[in-house]
This record gives sequence, structure tokens and C-alpha cells, in this order.
Amino acid sequence: MRSIRLVLSSILAAAAFAQQLPVQEHTLDNGMRILLLPRKGSANIAAGWVARVGSVNERPGITGISHLFEHMMFKGTNTIGTRNSAEDAKLNLELDQLKAGLRKEEAELARRLRLGEITDVKDPKVRTARHQELLGKFEILTKRQSELIVKNEFDRIYTGQGASGMNAGTSEDYTVYFINLPTNRLELWFWMESDRLLNPVFREFYTERDVVMEERRMRTDSTPTGRYQEQFNALFWKSSPYGWPVVGWPTDIDAISREEANAYFGTYYAPNNLTATLVGDFDPAVAMELAKKYFGRLKRGTVPPPDVVTTETPQMGEQRMSASAETTPEAVIRFHSVADGHVDEPALNVLASLMNDRTGRLFKSLVLEQQVANMAFASQDSRKYEGFVEFRGTAKPGKTPEDVEKGIYNELEKLKTELVPDRELEKVKNNLAAGNFRQKQSDFNLLLNILINDASRSWRSLNTDPPLLQAVTPADIQRVAKKYLKPENRNVLILYRKGAN
Amino acid sequence: MKHLLLVTVVLTAVATLHAAEIPSHPQELKYPVLKYDPPRAADFRHKLATGGTAYLVEDHELPLVNLSVLVRTGRYLEPGDKAGLTALVGSQMRAGGTKTKPPAVFDEEAAFLAAQINAGVGDTEGQAQVNCLARTLDPCLALFFDMLRNPGFAEDRLKLAKSQALQGMQRRNDDTAGIEAREFARLMRGQFFTTVPSTKAGIESITREDLIAFHEKYFYPGNFTFAVSGDFNTKDMIAKLNQSLANWANRPALTSQVPKPAFTPKPGVYVVDKKDVNQGRVRMGHLGTTLSNPDHLAIGVMNGILGGAGFTSRITSRVRSDEGLAYSAGSVFQSGRYYDGVFSAVFQSKSPTVAQAITIVIEEIDHMRKEKVKPEELATEINSSTEQLSKRFATARQKAAQFANDDYEKLPEDYWQKYRDRLRALTPDEIQRVAQKYLQPDKLVILAVGNVDAMVKGNPDKPQYQLSKFGNMERIPLPDPFTMVYPKP
Repeated sequence: MRSIRLVLSSILAAAAFAQQLPVQEHTLDNGMRILLLPRKGSANIAAGWVARVGSVNERPGITGISHLFEHMMFKGTNTIGTRNSAEDAKLNLELDQLKAGLRKEEAELARRLRLGEITDVKDPKVRTARHQELLGKFEILTKRQSELIVKNEFDRIYTGQGASGMNAGTSEDYTVYFINLPTNRLELWFWMESDRLLNPVFREFYTERDVVMEERRMRTDSTPTGRYQEQFNALFWKSSPYGWPVVGWPTDIDAISREEANAYFGTYYAPNNLTATLVGDFDPAVAMELAKKYFGRLKRGTVPPPDVVTTETPQMGEQRMSASAETTPEAVIRFHSVADGHVDEPALNVLASLMNDRTGRLFKSLVLEQQVANMAFASQDSRKYEGFVEFRGTAKPGKTPEDVEKGIYNELEKLKTELVPDRELEKVKNNLAAGNFRQKQSDFNLLLNILINDASRSWRSLNTDPPLLQAVTPADIQRVAKKYLKPENRNVLILYRKGAN
Repeated sequence: MKHLLLVTVVLTAVATLHAAEIPSHPQELKYPVLKYDPPRAADFRHKLATGGTAYLVEDHELPLVNLSVLVRTGRYLEPGDKAGLTALVGSQMRAGGTKTKPPAVFDEEAAFLAAQINAGVGDTEGQAQVNCLARTLDPCLALFFDMLRNPGFAEDRLKLAKSQALQGMQRRNDDTAGIEAREFARLMRGQFFTTVPSTKAGIESITREDLIAFHEKYFYPGNFTFAVSGDFNTKDMIAKLNQSLANWANRPALTSQVPKPAFTPKPGVYVVDKKDVNQGRVRMGHLGTTLSNPDHLAIGVMNGILGGAGFTSRITSRVRSDEGLAYSAGSVFQSGRYYDGVFSAVFQSKSPTVAQAITIVIEEIDHMRKEKVKPEELATEINSSTEQLSKRFATARQKAAQFANDDYEKLPEDYWQKYRDRLRALTPDEIQRVAQKYLQPDKLVILAVGNVDAMVKGNPDKPQYQLSKFGNMERIPLPDPFTMVYPKP
């Protein structure tokens, strides 16, 4: 196989685009970053922007606001989405006042629940007459506003012009908005996106909170393991804001007010906290002209977005959670590791890759040789402020999650005591190098990668990180294994099958 | 790169646009003309020496090659008492090594080359693919064709796959999403090859010899359609394909017929009880139509307006945006290739508001039949489809895959050339005609999976919405996950 080895090392001499993304970087006077990656071949443009804000920027009481906000950004502006902007604004104000009154009623019900006087705050029988009256008025005003609304006009305008896949996503660290456009509709994108950043109106605010609650039920509450994963995550992080879920705690989603949303927008959606990107078939000179014309209208924020202060406090001992769920018995082992861009991150990424896939150490050892597991995976998850490395496996019938746990520890021990053989390391690096090309096959993937990386360190890490992975040595892997994979740094989730013995 | 010239994208000058003021509404924006002609499959089609067809699309931007093959076979050819056999044929072609290379050797070689190799068998087709670095094309193709031609189906890997299948079986009643999909398929199809469940006894009875026999029967050159894209030379690639397929016992392409379902769904309300969830999953619908029905494009546009086009569509607007009753709500109208597809509207809503959301969906189905759509609503939906045509052929890989798929499904040669004109000819009258003909509210089968007591109890603030109002309610019990025997109520 020597010849193959030589051939693979020569892939590093491939075409320029394949190696280094030729992104054109600009910053507008208001601080907004514009990243352009022209690419011929299709009559389409992947377009998007990212706000450097996510659940890590929240606090107890408003958890989930970043995500709720992402939903509100589709509700239109003072020109898009309403037949009567002035009346619409007046109704929003009246609805907010009613909601303030309702909040007092709800607080009283929460107090009674706390004392055990009632068991269900949603039961109509526990409401006061005043509460019922406010609810009635609220429904009438909501209906009146709904008659003024041009339904989903923001979406409709894009759809009618052939744009597709409009969506957005919120994570712990960023909120990203994206769409695919026919190449001749570039100006429409600048118009629409700058309008919703300049003149947003958060109409249907309270209905959308209900939609988010349904999203939470769908993803977390009504899935077999959603609530267990959420609680394990909350256990893992002691002081870091990564401990609450991106979707938010139910009490908080139910309580977020429009005033809080407005304040949040002013701080985190100022142009100096945003990056916009285009990937695809367009003329960069035309795009920059349009960027200045449209995004140039946005005013720089008066105060810079505050940095996240609370870091994770060092863990003093192993933490364990065990539970029974409607799932395959499983062991999840998670260690605190490093943030995105840390010098140890490349070695931890390679370490996780050594464990994965059909020829990875977990499959070979736990599934094929010891036959304690039916599936096993590893991952290094580096976020902006902290990170973790995780190993998990499902128990084979007749074996326990503790058997899987033990099997994983044996493999981790080998990483600490024996150097990884050269050929095994080379195999992993070949796959990381090929993966780097594969992720460039799609304009949309490139768009997301550029935006997400620019929200953390810089889009440039897409060009500078791959060589760091190729430079990892067997000694590096041994060093990070010893440093991070320690019992006192470990969190373990053991899931048994509900109803099984 | 000669072929790429066939995709003509002409942008007129845009320089004049930007001196102007920012218009107050996007309706006032003027766009450069985009002239786009979809590529023709014939320009990329090559007949192979063995009788199969290959679509080759070169693209040299990245040093990668993607090769996939469609195989005329499917789950419909599986013996009823060996349900799960075809899934195992697909997974074990990849996992079980080859006749000369044990799995560990094959997997190490593929992994060292960073080749991604996969195989699978679905309801009405088989497929396999390899994605590799262009510089290692020859050793990767050698591995891929060794797998395609001489799979080893190693016993120990088959044993592992069976263990994984049985463990998956145990989870059949865990997730409401899985229960919803399974039970709705049964309500639509009755006993049919797509709904025959695998059982513990059936999986255990499958042998290595069964896998070998199935593979030998359907995996031969005449039964293959190739799609190849990426960094290669077309002439060289054809030579490589012909060489890889030479001396392989060959026959003409399979012509056996996919069976048609004989079942008539029974309208009504069906519920499955899962106590520990706070949201009901609903799927409601009836039989759809076929791709050979000349109305299928009109039906597609009609469904886009009803619930298929995301936020722009009516069901999403009302259930989600107006009422906040669901995160995801919409509809799908399938035009099947071999037999009628299924029309279904789906949403997930907290248990007490399930009945209210069902009411809204039924109102919108009725509305679609009773009133003509507004011209601007129709224009938005048609424009959306016509302007997105280029997206279907955006990359070399998409082009090759689309051509091969159209060939496999025997789509008319000029389908995409005529596609936009056929859509633009649609009128509100035509949309109403197909709505009246193909949406059948009296035939609705309504399935709700969740906490039945809470769904039946409904919302005390809106007592007018009741699950009992939609017809006779039948409870479907959860089956034994290993035998799939349903307990008698």
C-alpha cells in the first residue's frame, strides 16, 4: 500500500479552491462584516447572515429568548406583513398591557401552586373573574390584529420570486438566517434582509411563543430521550450558561415579554454584531455595492454586546445520572475539554476520529471483539467558550450499560499508555482531508460553515484548521488523553430500558 | 467541460440598477432577465457495452469523484416470511466483505483510501455508491466493484446485523413518530409489501444463503443505471466502467411488475395511546394518485397552496401562524411511480388542542374544493416551482443523479423542457377542478397518536372542539414488537 500513501500525500497539491477558500472579506462603516465567495456553475446563490448571539448570552428568566427571537424575525416589518402599520402598532401596545395584567394573575396562580392550594394553573376553574375577562379581551384583540396581518408576507414575497429553503437556526453560540436565491434575485435579498434588521415588528408575539412551546414538546418532551438528554446537559455544566437548553425552560418561554425581545434586538442585532455571506453565482463588485446601499443603512449599536462572563467552574469529582427510559440501554461518558480554537482542539478532534466508524477503536473493540455493544461513537464538541469530548455506546442484548462503560474506559486507558501507530493515524488524517473537500461540494454547506465559523473565531479557521489536524502527532494524542480523560473530570449518563429487569 | 456550456445563464447588465433610490416595497424592484434552459439527459447519456446506461457529468473544481448505481430490484421481491431480507442484503453487501477480502481487510483498505462506500435496497430500487478522491479512483473503483459483484456476506457481520435489527425492533413502540408512520401506512395499505413487518422469527430465519441468492438474482450489469460526477475524463470513465463490468454473467434488465395495492382504506378516527407524552401526533388523509396521471402537476400546485409550500400555504398559516397550535403543520400529495401515492396532512399539537387543529385542516380541505384560489396565490406557487428549476440541476452530482433517476422511472425525455410551460398554463379553474376530484373529505382517515384521554378531553376553554365529532373512533393497540401481533381489544 506504499504507493497509495504517496498518492494521498500529493492531494495537498490540488486546485486552489479545494485548498484555500478565496473568501473576499469586507467590513462596512457600521461594523457589519460582508464575506463573499463567488463560484460559477449553478444559476443560484446561497445567501445568509449570522448574529453572534445564542443561548449562552441569556440569563435565568429569559432562557430561550434567542430562539424565540429567531422565530420573530419572520414576522415582518412596518411595510411587510400588515395592511395598516399604525393600527398594528397600537394593537401591539394594547396587547402588551393586557399581557402585563395577565402576568399578575399568573403570578398569583403560581404562588397558590407553590403552596399546594391548586394543582393545575391551566385549569379554567382556578381563574379569577378578572383573569377570565383579560383572556377574553386578549382573544378579541388578537383576532382584530390578525385581520390586519398579511399572512406570512415575508415568506410569500421570497417564494413568489423562486427563492427556496428559507430558514434559520439557533445554537448556544449563534443565530443564523439563510435562503437560496435564483442568481438574478440578489437585490431582493438585500432589500428583505436589511428591512427586517432596520424596521422589524414582532407581531403575533404571543402566538409565536405558543408555537415555540409546541416545538419544545415535539423535540424534547414527547421524544423517548429528549428530557433525559436535557437533564444530563444541565448536570454536566455547573456554572456555564451552556447548562440550559437552547429552546429554553418552559416557564421562561411562557414569560418572555415583547419589551425583553426589543431590548435583546437592540443589543445583539446591531450591524457590528453581524456577518453576511454570499456563496454562488454573482458578481462581487455588484454585491458590495448592494451591501453598502442596503446594509449601510443600519446604525451601529450604542453599546457593544456584553461578553459572556461566567465560565465553567472546575469539576471536583465524577458526576453520574442514571434513569430508565423507553430506549436501548446506553452509556454516555462526557469529559470537560476545550473551547473552539484551543491549541488542544486538533488533537482532541483526531482522538475522537480514531474511535469512530467501521475501523475505529470503539467498533473494533466493543462491538466486534468484546461484543458488549451494538453501536459506539465519539465526538469532540468545541463551542465558543467551553467544550467537551464524549463517548457513547448502546449495550448489546444481555449486556449492561456498565459493561459498555467499562469497555470504553479500557480504550481510553490505551490512549494514555500506548502511542497511536503511524498508519492508523494516517488513515484518520486521510479521512479528515477528504472530508475537507467533501464539505465544499455544496454552496449551502459552505455558506453555513463560513457563517458559523465567523460567529466564533473567524471564517479563516476553515483555511487554517485543516493543516493543524494534519500536524497532530501520536504524542499529542497521548498528552490530551492524559490531560482531559480523567475520572474526576467525567460525567456519566446510564440509561436502562424502562420496564426491563 | 464542454457539456456545461449547454446550461446557458445570461444575465443582462445590472449596473443601472444601483444608482436608484431604495424602493419602498420589493414589488418595485426590477430584476435582470435570467435565461435558463435545463440540461438534456441525452447529452450526458452513454450506453455501456453490457447494455446498462451511464450518465456522466464532469466537474473539475474539487478532486472528488462520485459514482452511484441504481439497480432494478426492491423489497417487493422479498418473500413474505423473510421480511427484512432486502434491508440486510443492502447493509451486508457493504458490511460483509467480499469473496476474497474478509470484512476487516475490505474496511481497512476503504478507510485508508478515505473512500465512502455504501449499498442499500429500498421498496422499489436498489442502490450503491462510492465517493472518493480522484487520485485514488482506480483502487476505490476496484473495491466498489468487488463489493457490487462479489459480496462476501460474512457470517459474523450478519449475526451482528441481526442483533442490531432485533434491538431496533424492541424500540418499535417507544417513539410516537415511529408509531404514527407505521400505523398510518397500515391504515392506507392494509396488507401490502410495504407494510409487512419484520419479526423476530423472520429475521432469525434469514441465512447467508438467502442473501447470496437475492444478490445473484438482481445484481448484474444489464440491471444497472450509473450516475457519475466529478473530477474525471468521460472517455476514460466509460472504459473503466466497461472494464469493471466485463465477464460478469449478464441478462437483460428486469421487467417484473411492482404489485398494486388492493386495499380500500376505511374512513374514521383512529387513536393510539401513549401516556407519557404531552403532544399528539396527527396524520390524516386518503389515497393519492400516480405520476402517469396527467393531472399530477396541477395536483402538486394545488397541494402547495393547501399545505405543501411551508409558510406560504394555508394549513401552515392557520394552524401555526394564526393559532399557534403546532410547530410543524402541512400536507403532502404523493404521485406514485407504480401505484397510487398517499395524500396526508400532518401536525403535532399539545394533547388538548389536537381536535381544534384537525377541525382547521378539514376546513382548509373544504375551502380548497369550494372556492377558486386567488390568481396571485396561484402565481406565487407556480413561480416558485418554475424559478426553482435550476436548483434541481445546480451541481454536477445533482445533474447525474436526476438523469439516472428519471431514466429509472422512465420519465418522458422532454419532461423538464416542458415542465415550466405546463405549470404556467394552470388556471384557478383547473386547480379547483383537481381539488374537487382528488381531495376527498368523506374518505379521510384520521390517526392521532398520543395521550388519548387528554386528546379526548380537549381544551376546557374551547369545548366546541371534540375528537368524537370526526366519526367513529377506533383504538389501535400497541403490537408485540417482536411478533407484531396486535392484542385483541
